[in-house]
Amino acid sequence: MGEYVWFHDVSWHASYAVYFFIIGILAGLSFMSYGSWITPALRPLREKAAYGSMVLLALGGMLLIADLSQPLRFFNVLNPAYLNFTSPLAWGSLNIVAFGVCSVLYILELRKAEDSARGKMLALVTALLALGLPVYTGYDLSVHQSRPVWNTPIMPVLFVALAVASGSAVGALLTGGNDAAQKVLREYMLWSTGAVGVILVSILGTTNYGGSAQELTFIIMTTGTMGMIFIGVGLLAGTAAPVALLLAAHVREQQTGLMLSAVLILVGSAALRYALLMGPQQLQTLY
Amino acid sequence: MSEELRVSPIETRGIAGKRRFAMVVDTRRCIGCMACQVACKAEYDTPLGVNRTWVPYKVVGKYPNVKRQFLPRLCNHCDDAPCVRNCPVDATFKVEDGGFILQRYERCIGCRSCMAACPYNARFMLPSHRTYTPITNVVDKCTFCFHRVSQNLVPACVQTCIGRSRVFGDINDPNSEVSYLVANNPTQVLRPEEGTKPHVFYIGADRNATEFGRDAYHKPEVMEPERSAFKRNFKI
Amino acid sequence: MEMPKVTRRTFLKVSATTGAAAAAAPRLLNAMEHELGGKDFGPVTGAERKAIPINCHVCNIQDGAIAYVENDRVVKLEGNPEHVSTRGRLCAKGNAGMWYSYDPDRILYPLKRVGARGEGKWKRITWDEALTELAGKLDAALKEDPNTIMLKYGRNRSGGAVDRFMKTLGSATVVNHTSVCESSKKIGMEPTWGPDIETPDFANAKYVLNFGSNILEAAYFHNPLSQRVTEGRVDNHMKIVTFDVRLSNTAGFSDEWVPVHPGTDGAVALAMGHVILRDDLQDSEFIETWTNVTVKELKEHYKQFTPEWASKISGVPAETIERIATEFATTKPATLFTYRGPAKHLYGSYNERSCMMLPIMTGNVEKKGGYCLPRGMGWPQPSPEPGKPKKDSYLAHPTEYPLAGHKVSHLVPFWIADGKQKINVYFTYQDNPVYTNPGAMAVWGKLFKDEKLIPYLVSMSPFMGEETALADLILPDCPYLERWEPESMPNSLWPWLGIRQPVHKSLGESRENRIMMRDIIWKLDPDGKRGMKQFWNFKDGEDYMRHHFDNVPGLKEAGGLNFLKKHGVWPIYGKLNPKTGKVSDKTGREIKAEYGLFKKELSAADMAGTATDKNGVITKNGKAIGVKRNGKNYVGFPTGNRIINVRVDKWAEYGFNPMPTFKRIPWHEAMKDDELVMVTFKLNVMKQSRTAAVKWLAEIAHSNPMWIGTSTAAKLGIKTGDLVRVESKVGHLVTKAYVTEGIHPRTVAIPTGFGHWEYGRLATLKLKDKKSEASHGADDPDLNNVWWDDKGVHPNNIIPVVADPIGGSQGWYDTVVKVTKAGPNDKYGDSQGDWEKHYAAYKETMRYAYTGDLHRKMHPEMASWAGPGSVKHHEGGGH
Ligand SMILES: Nc1nc2c(c(=O)[nH]1)N[C@H]1C(S)=C(S)[C@@H](COP(=O)(O)OP(=O)(O)OC[C@H]3O[C@@H](n4cnc5c(=O)[nH]c(N)nc54)[C@H](O)[C@@H]3O)O[C@H]1N2
Ligand SMILES: Nc1nc2c(c(=O)[nH]1)N[C@H]1C(S)=C(S)[C@@H](COP(=O)(O)OP(=O)(O)OC[C@H]3O[C@@H](n4cnc5c(=O)[nH]c(N)nc54)[C@H](O)[C@@H]3O)O[C@H]1N2
Ligand code: SF4
Ligand code: SF4
Ligand code: SF4
Ligand code: SF4
Ligand code: SF4
Ligand SMILES: [Mo]
Repeated sequence: MGEYVWFHDVSWHASYAVYFFIIGILAGLSFMSYGSWITPALRPLREKAAYGSMVLLALGGMLLIADLSQPLRFFNVLNPAYLNFTSPLAWGSLNIVAFGVCSVLYILELRKAEDSARGKMLALVTALLALGLPVYTGYDLSVHQSRPVWNTPIMPVLFVALAVASGSAVGALLTGGNDAAQKVLREYMLWSTGAVGVILVSILGTTNYGGSAQELTFIIMTTGTMGMIFIGVGLLAGTAAPVALLLAAHVREQQTGLMLSAVLILVGSAALRYALLMGPQQLQTLY
Repeated sequence: MSEELRVSPIETRGIAGKRRFAMVVDTRRCIGCMACQVACKAEYDTPLGVNRTWVPYKVVGKYPNVKRQFLPRLCNHCDDAPCVRNCPVDATFKVEDGGFILQRYERCIGCRSCMAACPYNARFMLPSHRTYTPITNVVDKCTFCFHRVSQNLVPACVQTCIGRSRVFGDINDPNSEVSYLVANNPTQVLRPEEGTKPHVFYIGADRNATEFGRDAYHKPEVMEPERSAFKRNFKI
Repeated sequence: MEMPKVTRRTFLKVSATTGAAAAAAPRLLNAMEHELGGKDFGPVTGAERKAIPINCHVCNIQDGAIAYVENDRVVKLEGNPEHVSTRGRLCAKGNAGMWYSYDPDRILYPLKRVGARGEGKWKRITWDEALTELAGKLDAALKEDPNTIMLKYGRNRSGGAVDRFMKTLGSATVVNHTSVCESSKKIGMEPTWGPDIETPDFANAKYVLNFGSNILEAAYFHNPLSQRVTEGRVDNHMKIVTFDVRLSNTAGFSDEWVPVHPGTDGAVALAMGHVILRDDLQDSEFIETWTNVTVKELKEHYKQFTPEWASKISGVPAETIERIATEFATTKPATLFTYRGPAKHLYGSYNERSCMMLPIMTGNVEKKGGYCLPRGMGWPQPSPEPGKPKKDSYLAHPTEYPLAGHKVSHLVPFWIADGKQKINVYFTYQDNPVYTNPGAMAVWGKLFKDEKLIPYLVSMSPFMGEETALADLILPDCPYLERWEPESMPNSLWPWLGIRQPVHKSLGESRENRIMMRDIIWKLDPDGKRGMKQFWNFKDGEDYMRHHFDNVPGLKEAGGLNFLKKHGVWPIYGKLNPKTGKVSDKTGREIKAEYGLFKKELSAADMAGTATDKNGVITKNGKAIGVKRNGKNYVGFPTGNRIINVRVDKWAEYGFNPMPTFKRIPWHEAMKDDELVMVTFKLNVMKQSRTAAVKWLAEIAHSNPMWIGTSTAAKLGIKTGDLVRVESKVGHLVTKAYVTEGIHPRTVAIPTGFGHWEYGRLATLKLKDKKSEASHGADDPDLNNVWWDDKGVHPNNIIPVVADPIGGSQGWYDTVVKVTKAGPNDKYGDSQGDWEKHYAAYKETMRYAYTGDLHRKMHPEMASWAGPGSVKHHEGGGH
């Protein structure tokens, strides 16, 4: 009104954040499942985590494909004549497909035999491919060098940390009542959430000291609704609070504190993914 | 140093025997008439809500010393285009002869990675309704009017430019008007820090208008109702 | 890293959609600059499109254009590169003109009203039913008095057909819209130097004064003149200074924007003249030779207009006036341009004359880079021609406004209500006073709803405009892309003739206007016995055009109409040079304009049989054809005495000041602190009432918040986006505020073109509504993408009528308003005008007419005038 303006849509909408969230959890669960081969305390999680990650993969895959404007062309990504290896999405698609195949083999193996060497091997491969998922999603953002926050090289690491945190949080919820497992998971949650916190603080700090685009993105991410989601829900309630709770849970009533932290971590990591995805896109809609 | 170090193997600027099309936008001549924007809409039957080119403006200064600045915008046909690198299926590509960055609509999966990659917001998703063109639900962008240029016509926006603010041509040809303008005027490109090597050159653009400024965030509230209407109502 | 080469090597590998175009593309010739148009190819198909030269008529500037047709649909419009004024370019509106044709709500069949007037209930009838009914009404009216048949048009590019129609009926009741347009500018100019407009040579000027014209967005002639303004400013380093009450795009582009208080340009211009004459910077030789005053008289007259005096009235600092006056007078060549800013006031004619005095006294007239006469071309009318109607019509030539040669159309509803003239049948053609006039719905809506005052209302229109919505019968005319029309406009320094021709068969049962009028006449006079049919002996539109163009000397040899059908324009002065964007002749050099038209000497043949009077006026057969100066016989200026009349004696006969002068608007002088002046203005992408349904334009501009200055808004506690209540003496409206640095603090401004309550579903943003029975156009799926939901608020209901007692022009920019934050009961979009109050405003404004009681009070300097009784009755009209 009054002035001629033009408006741009953001590139990626909130559904993509849900996808990030799901893929993070499923990667985390795959780590847990593999962890059960090494840490006996996690043994009760092995099947649950493997199945859970399969279900989530199906869900996430569907979400991802539905989010394409041309869902039926998803197979173009797998067409070797089309594949463009400079795109993280191309790698990501291969990674997802490979992960899916390995997950199926792994589950088949789990149904066939207990504790087989092949099972352990498949668990390892699946977990490695699972690691690729948060790495590629993080990479998917960080290749966008023109977007403040996204363009930090630490994005993949942040996404791995988030995956471990949310995976172990889901693990903690799945293993309710099992003290041994919970003890291990507490460590995972504590360290990964701590790492998330440290990474975010350093990203925020450097962002605020960049040029005007960075500075404006900082403002966008720390004020208004976006600030509530990012700082309030993501950083304070979803990162700082669970870390504090977990530290405290060591001495006091383990169970509730732990479960509460797990829930907080999940809520927080969802909020963080939303804010990290949407926040840095706002500036360009104004430009 | 005799050997030129080139980052991208498909760069076409300054390479003998190759054309490299470019546009010069002389903002001193831009009167903000919007003819370019509408001509481009007509040329491509571009749907409402999206644009291949657009002309934003700013009112700067304090009464009575006030000015109006226009900054016509379009795809920069970057020589080092992040959108190309970021497309998983090679649907976005560069035409080596001329430097056009184009789309293969029938291949595009609509993942929007190229939109996220473009530092200039030059790409958009086509909505599912159009007047008569059957291409929908894929990403689209300015083509530098490839189909006209290859018929030896200037792009549609250049053709109609009332202020003759937009000039188009082969910047590898030292005799072209764009070469002349770029050689004889101080020019700038948008967001050079991105290293994309844009091929839309601006003469007389105020750096305060071309850079993100604080007012990009403290947008004149004047835009707010419009912006929220757009967010609310424009559904792809 | 090596990029995989895959398929990106050459464009021949570009696939399917872009590929089709690419495959057809020949290899580019190296180092060849690209052509600036004249051809077009489909981006998807790659196929060349059919090119049909036409003349743009989205607005009234008349740019030469080409329509490109694919599958019988116009898909692209482009400027005609052979057109000397347009030079291949079109403005935003011109580029979108096909949406007039493809408006989904276009009316394509004759419609008869079935509900109450304005209720929106229509019945589709056949042409024969429509014509029979209409002929019945016309017959009855003709029996009573042909003058009871009235036709009012807005745009009329029929090249004489509309007048022929009314003359055929024998009615003189023909009214146009010019009094709401720029008529006081015309009336200021015509008696002074002949034509009603100037052609400033911007491309070659070094200094430009622009008084209240928004060339870069509107004005006559936006597109061609804007091209020359940018050329002058960037290539020729000219300086341009714009006087406007707000920061238009033109003001924002100018080297200097000088904000003025509305209605005071005349004072500023006079003060500049004062400085020039005081400092002896005038061109004395030009004044003495080519005007009807001496330098001494002029100096004497201008003494009173000091910069301090003007500064107090206009708010422009005296130093600024001094500086700009000196710069203007000492920089050569210099020119001046005005449009509606100075003219649309109570004494707009005085303002215009004061402005045009500046290039005249500095001798910049008809010089390269100066202030040039318009260059136009005419064409013959088909014969036989109907004669003049027997009786004159009051509405067409109101006696109180004898100098208003372009009529006083905005007072017509009051005169009809007062019973000045009886109307039986009212035709409306390309005119929408219900929206575009002062009082809008409150005045014209009231008139048209009154079946006693307007018993039968016929609209010839393809669109359901606000006026058409009140009609009894709608005859579907064709939009410009489906009409045959002759064209010429003085929009550059080169004269030209052009045509409009249909690009495809007219859609539905629409008939172009001249054919529709022919059919009405044929119905009235089927066998020619009434003597009407003889004037309408045309097979079709093309046949009619042949009568215009097949016998124009020069064009005839080139092929007459056939030449125009092929090229759209004649003559073709040269080729558009892609390197320069200018027209080059055969040698590759830019074509040169002819200057000094008034100094053309009369040939011996011209002189044969002439007489020269003591003032040097050369007459032949009772008509002045030239003037003798310094022993030479020149053609001079197209005025009665062939020179420039700085003193217009005819004005003095009616008690008006014959010399350049200024009158302050009395109610502006009496303005209280909390009152502001409300002006309106045009935006580059909107064309009065007719573009709101053009989607590409509506997308760019669809709402019209009220501009208000930062300091004024702060005082009132108003922020951008706030609802405000704007109250004038005739009504009030509620709209949104836009707070800006770019406006005079005593002014608020609302752009026109928005806030429609008719004109189809897009203009009214009722896209979810079912198509009405009146709409027959093809649906456009793209309208699903409309994202804006604000259609704006139209200001005209609250603008009272004001009539310039000289020029008859509406004082659009004289409205005093009070602005407050909206109250709890105010709703966005409220707009109320009151007939009684508008009627009172009409009575009030007629007190300024030469017959009114305030006339003398406003002209103390004319004390010796003997009063209205002293005026011998002149026939109205004139110039
Ligand atoms: N885009 C577009 N172009 C058009 C048209 C259109 O509707 N849209 N219409 C065509 C027609 S019919 C016409 S008549 C012309 C009109 O063309 P213009 O006269 O150029 O345009 P307007 O907007 O009517 O008024 C010109 C300016 O006068 C200013 N103004 C108001 N009061 C004053 C005053 O007291 N002094 C001064 N100095 N300025 C003042 C307004 O702010 C505005 O910027 O445009 C033609 N071209
Ligand atoms: N507030 C305010 N009001 C203004 C102005 C302003 O600046 N501010 N400007 C004034 C000026 S300068 C002018 S000239 C007038 C113009 O006033 P008008 O002449 O009344 O307005 P237009 O909008 O040009 O068109 C009038 C009608 O023509 C019809 N029409 C459109 N195309 C066609 C066609 O192809 N064929 C036929 N038969 N009919 C068609 C439509 O119904 C349209 O409503 O408005 C004046 N009104
Ligand atoms: S401007 Fe954007 S879309 Fe255009 S080439 Fe550069 S990165 Fe790609
Ligand atoms: S949206 Fe289309 S063009 Fe863009 S990156 Fe995805 S596949 Fe490529
Ligand atoms: S070059 Fe062509 S596609 Fe690009 S903005 Fe101009 S007209 Fe549109
Ligand atoms: S057409 Fe030319 S002058 Fe007009 S807005 Fe576009 S770039 Fe500016
Ligand atoms: S100014 Fe624009 S709308 Fe008017 S005639 Fe010219 S191109 Fe057409
Ligand atoms: Mo007008």
